Amino acid sequence: MQRKMKMVRIYIMGKEYRVPEGLTIMKAMEYAGYRYIRGAGCRAGFCGACATVYRKEGDYKLYADLACQTTVEDGMYLVQLPFTPANKAIYDLEKIKADDKTLVNFYPEIARCVSCNTCTKACPQELDVMDYIQASLRGDIAKAAELSFDCIQCGLCALRCPAEIVHYHVAQLARRLYGKYLAPKAKHLEKRVKEIEEGKFDAELKKMMKKSIEELRKMYNARDIEPEEEMPTESD
Amino acid sequence: MQLANIQGEKMEIAYYPGCTLKTNAKEFEESTIEAFKKLGIELKELNKWYCCGTVYSLATDNLMYRLAAIRNLIKVKEEGYDKVVTLCSICYNTLKQANLMAQQDEEAMYKINSFMDEEPDYHGEVEVLHPLEILKGMEEKIKENVVKPLNKKYAVYYGCLLLRPKEVAIDEYENPSVMEKLVEMLGGSVVNFPFKNECCGAYNVVSDREAVVERCYRIVGNARKNGADAIVTSCPLCHFNLSEMQKEIKKTDFVGLPIYYFSQLMVEAFGGRKCKEK
Amino acid sequence: MYPKEMEKSIRKVEATREERLHKLPERMSEKERQEVLQKWHPDYKPEAKRKLKIGVSKGSIVPHEVADLIEAYPLIKPEEIDLSQVDYDVDVLIIGGGGAGTAAALFAYYNGIKPENILIATKLRHGDANTMMAQGGIQAADKENDSPIIHYLDVIGGGHFANKPELVAKLVMDAPSIIKWHEELGIMYDKKEDGEMITIHGGGTSRKRMHSAKDYTGMEIMRVLRDEARNIGIPVLEFSPAIELLQDDDGKVAGALLYNLETEQYYVAKAKATILATGGFGRLHIQGFPTTNHYGATFDGAVMAYRLGARLRDMDSVQYHPTGVAYPEQIVGLLVTEKVRSLGAQPVNADGEQFVHPLEARDVEAAALIRECYGRKKGVVTPTGMQGIWLDSPMIDIIHGEGTIEKRLGAMFRMFNRFGIDMREEPILVFPTLHYQNGGIEIDAEARVLGKNNVIQGLFAAGEVEGGVHGKNRLMGNSLLDTQVFGKIAGINSAKYAKKAKIGKLSLKHVNRYIEELRKAKIKEERKAPIIFPDYRGEQVLSRAIDIL
Ligand SMILES: Cc1cc2nc3c(=O)[nH]c(=O)nc-3n(C[C@H](O)[C@H](O)[C@H](O)COP(=O)(O)OP(=O)(O)OC[C@H]3O[C@@H](n4cnc5c(N)ncnc54)[C@H](O)[C@@H]3O)c2cc1C
Ligand code: SF4
Ligand code: SF4
Ligand code: FES
Repeated sequence: MQRKMKMVRIYIMGKEYRVPEGLTIMKAMEYAGYRYIRGAGCRAGFCGACATVYRKEGDYKLYADLACQTTVEDGMYLVQLPFTPANKAIYDLEKIKADDKTLVNFYPEIARCVSCNTCTKACPQELDVMDYIQASLRGDIAKAAELSFDCIQCGLCALRCPAEIVHYHVAQLARRLYGKYLAPKAKHLEKRVKEIEEGKFDAELKKMMKKSIEELRKMYNARDIEPEEEMPTESD
Repeated sequence: MQLANIQGEKMEIAYYPGCTLKTNAKEFEESTIEAFKKLGIELKELNKWYCCGTVYSLATDNLMYRLAAIRNLIKVKEEGYDKVVTLCSICYNTLKQANLMAQQDEEAMYKINSFMDEEPDYHGEVEVLHPLEILKGMEEKIKENVVKPLNKKYAVYYGCLLLRPKEVAIDEYENPSVMEKLVEMLGGSVVNFPFKNECCGAYNVVSDREAVVERCYRIVGNARKNGADAIVTSCPLCHFNLSEMQKEIKKTDFVGLPIYYFSQLMVEAFGGRKCKEK
Repeated sequence: MYPKEMEKSIRKVEATREERLHKLPERMSEKERQEVLQKWHPDYKPEAKRKLKIGVSKGSIVPHEVADLIEAYPLIKPEEIDLSQVDYDVDVLIIGGGGAGTAAALFAYYNGIKPENILIATKLRHGDANTMMAQGGIQAADKENDSPIIHYLDVIGGGHFANKPELVAKLVMDAPSIIKWHEELGIMYDKKEDGEMITIHGGGTSRKRMHSAKDYTGMEIMRVLRDEARNIGIPVLEFSPAIELLQDDDGKVAGALLYNLETEQYYVAKAKATILATGGFGRLHIQGFPTTNHYGATFDGAVMAYRLGARLRDMDSVQYHPTGVAYPEQIVGLLVTEKVRSLGAQPVNADGEQFVHPLEARDVEAAALIRECYGRKKGVVTPTGMQGIWLDSPMIDIIHGEGTIEKRLGAMFRMFNRFGIDMREEPILVFPTLHYQNGGIEIDAEARVLGKNNVIQGLFAAGEVEGGVHGKNRLMGNSLLDTQVFGKIAGINSAKYAKKAKIGKLSLKHVNRYIEELRKAKIKEERKAPIIFPDYRGEQVLSRAIDIL
């Protein structure tokens, strides 16, 4: 159980600290004495609050990653980027169309993309960022939506892009257009909403609500469970 | 231009569409693919391709603006082709010029290759072609396929991007004739047309719409005066300017003309869909 | 990339895989469930809890960590606060910018409140919230073989029959219309080609009604709601948590005192109606458990409301998610979504044996995992001495075809892959982790907060901060739903209420009263609440930290 703690040197905004190896950047900064206000959100790789850039000793590359999902390395020079200045287009989704010009009309700067691929290299989610910008440019909303789906809106791509594009806002619009206009509608959903509005379940629900715990327990234990088609079991 | 190796029965060439073909010029794409299929050439769209970067790339020495073109050429190579066809004159011009640079400017390519360290190096191994260049070597095949000869008169309009600068020109840059020959092979006749490689006004349509409308008036008017039933072009931007700007001409003496892509004429002559009369 | 010792155990898991593909352990009987819960579930340890000494719910039993915050002094001295200068004056103030808060804001707007008369005050950025992290899905009975009635029974049974029926009724009846609303907003639910929603089971469901958007369901919902709020122009104050609620002179709730974390000044936010949507309490690390929750999940909302007389309920029960990460160390405690099990990965012990059905209700599943490690000593030991159980993730691609993990569990795949573990090839190690605040502030079916024996005027609550919907145990997919359904209800009713309400003079008298009560109960002035953030600074640093600025 007892481990000897091996320490590594990291430089937080240029200042050297010694921290145990194997910590994430986020935990290492806390170990070093920082208490987060900005720069930490979900702490699990979902919110994009902890965008961080760093260099390693003897390596010209500027790396970009999430502080909560990256292990510290000896000789890491790092700084967190707690905020990305970015303009979001304002739209009323009800009133716009999903055609091949919509994205470029709201974000004309995507035409400035020089295909340098810097955004893709910066993306901690390893998305094909350049590809989704290119798809947006040629009006392929479905492709842009699909390729950008896992975007956590951390802003690292936007901070690195020489064409000053705000990728994740473009992608957000693409996905909403896709979800609203291009994806097929769920008919069973519409039907059920209507049934509920018409009061189809009201009487039965009232009865359920009046049942004693004992009655409910009986029903619960006897309820039939929809089988898993992939995994037939004898047990349920 | 020698195309000895495109004489075989069936072959595949990488096809780079470019953004315009996917938005404003879908009929150009469809007709070209169809016509080439008849000729035994499969235009295979690249799995991955990027905007060629045009608007900026032509105007500056900044290497950043060459990245897009080079990256596309690398994709062609990576996907196993040695030739790429592009229909849009702008893309053609950009890719071709970038490719020339790749073949000639070692220093620039050293920088670009080391910048794109995630991609294989590139030194101009791919050949960039416009469909008209390919057609030049296929006279026999074209004639063989004509089943419904065109019997109208056409003014042939090149615009500028397929011809300038002369290093990338698809034909004799001051007096091209490839499209005329094509039209004749398809059974049409060609009228005299002094405006054939005049600029259509290109991107000025954004900043000075009036001027482009005026230019369109002169170009279309002249074609009609010379007896043309239609104008044939090879460039989506020219097509857009000529057909859209016609609608804005207010002079009462003006009667418009339909604008076709050369590939639409091919499809028609090969027995496919007829060109729409305007 | 596992250490050698762990690799050895993986070989055993592989050896039994083929056989396990075709059989599952029986689900437990009622009696077996009770047994394993009593003996092994952390919630059933009386020594981890105590009775509240003060307030409306005095005498009810809660975890020590919760009691510590209830029995703590306010951060402010009421007499030092100048309430005469109002910084924000709005119709509806929403405290907490997660899923519940944002849904509430949108529905307040849909019901006639102008955007500029709405204010969302939140602790971190808009959307830095548990909602953003929800992976698995959201329940709604919208298929032919399902109905709100069946959903109702699942919720009540899963909650050990302790739920408030009228809240459950709202939850299940409103679910389909919520999903429909989402569809109209452009949320990209997983669908088949004809538009049919792809739905699967979750622990404790009797029908496949879990709707998902890959394994980023909460993120997809959250970012779309946020985008919509931004389009509408609803103002959001970030890094400005509420630290105390405000009342007016006749006891109606009248807004909140906000604190700008960066400039350290307070703001007086006056409001005709106030909605609490501050989420849960994972960052209290009940019984020392690691947690899946976001950084700001510190129970603030409940602390503030309790001082004002709000009732707490079901706070004795805490949800431990059966599958938190147990290895690697960097991400210990983070969630491995239940969907991993829904899609066919089975829990197996160090010898590669099955020991529990993969989809028992959460508490039962968690207790069974703990028993396997500490009772039967069949856990896998990591280099840091932590115990865990294998989740046999490679089964997923075997069952559903290659590529399923990457496509439907992209977030999970990515998380492990970042630390050199390929869950397509090798199983992943899990152990229960602190996940969800089952109970909370009591509300009625109109989302109004309840006091000792009355409705607290002007205060609404939605989402994880409130209790009663889920009884003693929440099922996966019902809390995202809870945030949307009760966020909607709170939004609508706060708008209605705000149109009529007249606010008198602002006051913090209830805080004074609470301080008196604390003193009377002889509670020492050593703890303050709300805590806003946990403190994770290194011990070495804390031991030498001084406050001079
Ligand atoms: C990892 C994880 C996975 C989950 N998976 C699922 C799932 O698959 N399905 C499901 O149904 N549920 C799931 N849940 C549960 C569900 O996500 C949450 O219960 C629900 O999203 C809570 O929403 P909320 O709006 O009430 O709170 P939150 O989304 O947490 O929002 C509360 C907001 O209030 C802020 N806040 C806190 N204190 C203050 C204050 N004093 N002043 C101002 N603001 C404050 C917080 O910072 C936060 O932004 C999951 C939870 C987690 C953590
Ligand atoms: S960084 Fe900007 S310019 Fe470069 S590829 Fe990405 S979007 Fe295009
Ligand atoms: S696409 Fe941009 S904003 Fe989205 S995750 Fe990648 S780097 Fe972050
Ligand atoms: S803190 Fe949310 S992604 Fe790192």
